[in-house]
Amino acid sequence: MSVPAPPTAPSAGTALGSGLGPGAGGRVVSTVHEPVTGDGTTFASRSRSRWRSARWPLVVLLSIVVVAVLAALSRPPVSSIPLAPDNPSPQGAQALARVLEDQGVRVDHVQRVSAAVSKAGPGTTLLVTSDVELLPEQVDVLVATGADLVLVAPDQYTLDSATGGAADVAYSWGGGDAVRPAGCTDVDAVAAEGIRSSGSGFVADSPDAMVCFPHPDEPGSGAYLVVQDGDRRVVALDDSRTLANQTIGQDGHAALALRALGHHEDLVWLVPDYRDFSTGADGVGTGIAALLPPWVGVVGLQLLVVTIAVALWRGRRLGPLVTEDLPVVVRASETTRGRGRLYRRARSRGHAAAGLRAACADRVAGRLGIPRSAAAPALVDAVVRATGRPADQVAHLLYGPPPADDAALLELARHLDQMESEVYHP
Amino acid sequence: MVVTWRTAALTALGLVPVLVVPTPGTVLLWTLVVVALCGIDVALAASPRQVAVERRVPGSVRLSERTTSQLVLTNVARRRLRGLVRDAWPPSAGADANRYEIDLPPGEATRLTTRLVPTRRGDRVADRVTIRSFGPLRLAARQVSLQVPGRLRVLPEFASRRHLPSRLARLREMDGRAAVQVRGEGTEFDSLREYVIGDDVRSIDWRASARRADMVVRTWRPERDRRVLIVIDTARTSAARLGDEPRLDASIEAALLLAALAGRAGDRVELIAYDRTVRARVAGAAGPRLMPAMADALAPLTPTLLETDWPGLVGAVHERLSQRALVVLLSTLDPAAVESGLLPVVGQLTQSHQVVLAAAHDPQVADLLAARDSAHEVYDAAAAARTELERTAVTTVLRQRGAEVVDALPEDLAPRLADTYLALKAAGRL
Repeated sequence: MSVPAPPTAPSAGTALGSGLGPGAGGRVVSTVHEPVTGDGTTFASRSRSRWRSARWPLVVLLSIVVVAVLAALSRPPVSSIPLAPDNPSPQGAQALARVLEDQGVRVDHVQRVSAAVSKAGPGTTLLVTSDVELLPEQVDVLVATGADLVLVAPDQYTLDSATGGAADVAYSWGGGDAVRPAGCTDVDAVAAEGIRSSGSGFVADSPDAMVCFPHPDEPGSGAYLVVQDGDRRVVALDDSRTLANQTIGQDGHAALALRALGHHEDLVWLVPDYRDFSTGADGVGTGIAALLPPWVGVVGLQLLVVTIAVALWRGRRLGPLVTEDLPVVVRASETTRGRGRLYRRARSRGHAAAGLRAACADRVAGRLGIPRSAAAPALVDAVVRATGRPADQVAHLLYGPPPADDAALLELARHLDQMESEVYHP
Repeated sequence: MVVTWRTAALTALGLVPVLVVPTPGTVLLWTLVVVALCGIDVALAASPRQVAVERRVPGSVRLSERTTSQLVLTNVARRRLRGLVRDAWPPSAGADANRYEIDLPPGEATRLTTRLVPTRRGDRVADRVTIRSFGPLRLAARQVSLQVPGRLRVLPEFASRRHLPSRLARLREMDGRAAVQVRGEGTEFDSLREYVIGDDVRSIDWRASARRADMVVRTWRPERDRRVLIVIDTARTSAARLGDEPRLDASIEAALLLAALAGRAGDRVELIAYDRTVRARVAGAAGPRLMPAMADALAPLTPTLLETDWPGLVGAVHERLSQRALVVLLSTLDPAAVESGLLPVVGQLTQSHQVVLAAAHDPQVADLLAARDSAHEVYDAAAAARTELERTAVTTVLRQRGAEVVDALPEDLAPRLADTYLALKAAGRL
């Protein structure tokens, strides 16, 4: 199988004697090499070399992952939403939540209405830190839980729904920084003694409703509303600074907040999110996922796996690409063109015309048998005799002044061509 | 490890169970099944490293002719090898179909033939042989790329050989074999023969005729056993592109035709290719060995982007030649290159040798010269005219220094150089 073919002697030259290798002389020379089996690697050596080439990238990747995980674990989850119980910034309410926990109140931080509904009920306190993000249906669901409500700066709809129309928003801003006395008989308000508020205030429409901390200019409206509806108690604060970290230490804010939220052992702290549309306690049917069939996510996962398989199938070549060592090839006429561009850019019509004239004179002299070194008048005479043109015209064409513009240069080139064509071509 | 389209299809088939039981666990389970099947398939595939690969390539082929490269694959493993083989060559080797399905039982061999139609002169080195061995399910495969050495030398096309018969006929005319007798300088006495009507009476040898009853004439033949040294310049000017090929290729064609002609005329032909050092050399080859040696030496030449070392070149010429010879320089007539390179040293060559400078010029210059369509083109034409004038001037200077100059289009260079050689030979100036 591996018998090397003996190189046959080159045959004698053929009729044309070109004898250039096999095509011309019928010479057959084979270069035969020993059979090659495998590439000299074993499973172990391949594994070693793969490990060697992959270990440093792996180390780098692994260290990045480790650092990321450590960074994520070492930092406690911190929120930046105003009045969130895990927000330590001046707008947050972490101080209040911590103190309540220390006093034995179980604070349950939720961000979805459905979660709040499932956890709140009679005998619990439900704090709604804001109602701007809530849909009317969500407000109704929250009110229907039967829990004691603490509302922060509610709007008219929320207030109506929570109190059954027992109170209204007063829209009397400008309470200023003056400390307002309690001005009512509510135990919590009396214990707090005085607070500051710049909220819109509330007015009571029913005997069940009681307004405290009245506005200095409008005694009918107050910053704190308590509606007692049987066992249920609804409290509304018109200003979030009663709860916020920055201001809770002032005046009677801390006392009022702790007492308002600490009536029951369970406090559900709802920080609404505008992305949450849930209403029920089941937690299903939120966002875009509610519109798609349940198997879409799983099928997408399988399609991802299929994509990876297709990438693996198409990604592996049958052997490496072969490169061609390309020859270095520069166009020979490039230097001439470059020279032409230099003439053009410099508008050097004199040089260009001189070149054309000299070349024309050279060719014409060659045809007429005049030596190259002949003087100008001799050449002009010869051309006049050959073409019958007037002498001054020939002299002007061959030895005239440089053309004034590009059009004149073009004209000169054409005239020279014409004159040259009139000279007899042997 | 390689996966095939079947693996992708099998993964896609997993959509059915996923739709029936839409949980992430189904996806995971199906993926694990596919991975396990691929693993089993790879484990059962024959090892592509247990294949003995042997390559046979012809030593050389002339450009534009077709040849074949053969691979013999022997399965030395105990398993049946089902696979795909690729015999990779560089693009200019012209291997069009180089992928083969193979099915080799243990111990058997197969022969794969790749057709090669080279498109460039020079050495073409075979690239790797890639063997992909599929498992019985053809889901996955093992793959290895092996270096199986092989080199194909692509010889110059020698398209100018079509000019050889006419030049050989003219050589014979100069020789005593033809009826026409040429006598003059540079011919040497050949033999005496009987006078036939039509012979030049001036060639009658009266002394020999006196000794015999018949009239006897002398016959003459051109000088033989002259030395011809062809020098190919492979420096940067040889890289310039004329038409579709570099100037070097035109020089090679001219060198081949001259060598074939001079070899047939009985002269001793030598060749060197030089830029700053000797790139190729042919010496001492004669008769039928001359042309293969020339082609073999010229085939791998490539232009180098260096300036020619003309003093070194003259030194190399003097080293080769001790007596008067014909030195043919295949270079350029580019005025700048000649003025700074060849002109200062050409005198040293013409002192002791007959020098011919043969250069191909750019066919595009003629187009540039004739263009008159716009002012832009006239500027180009003026530049081309100026270049032509300078080249003419350089040619004149070279002729004054005693060198012959052949300035021709690339395809005309070889016949024009051959004609110049014949003219010099007829004139006895070798």
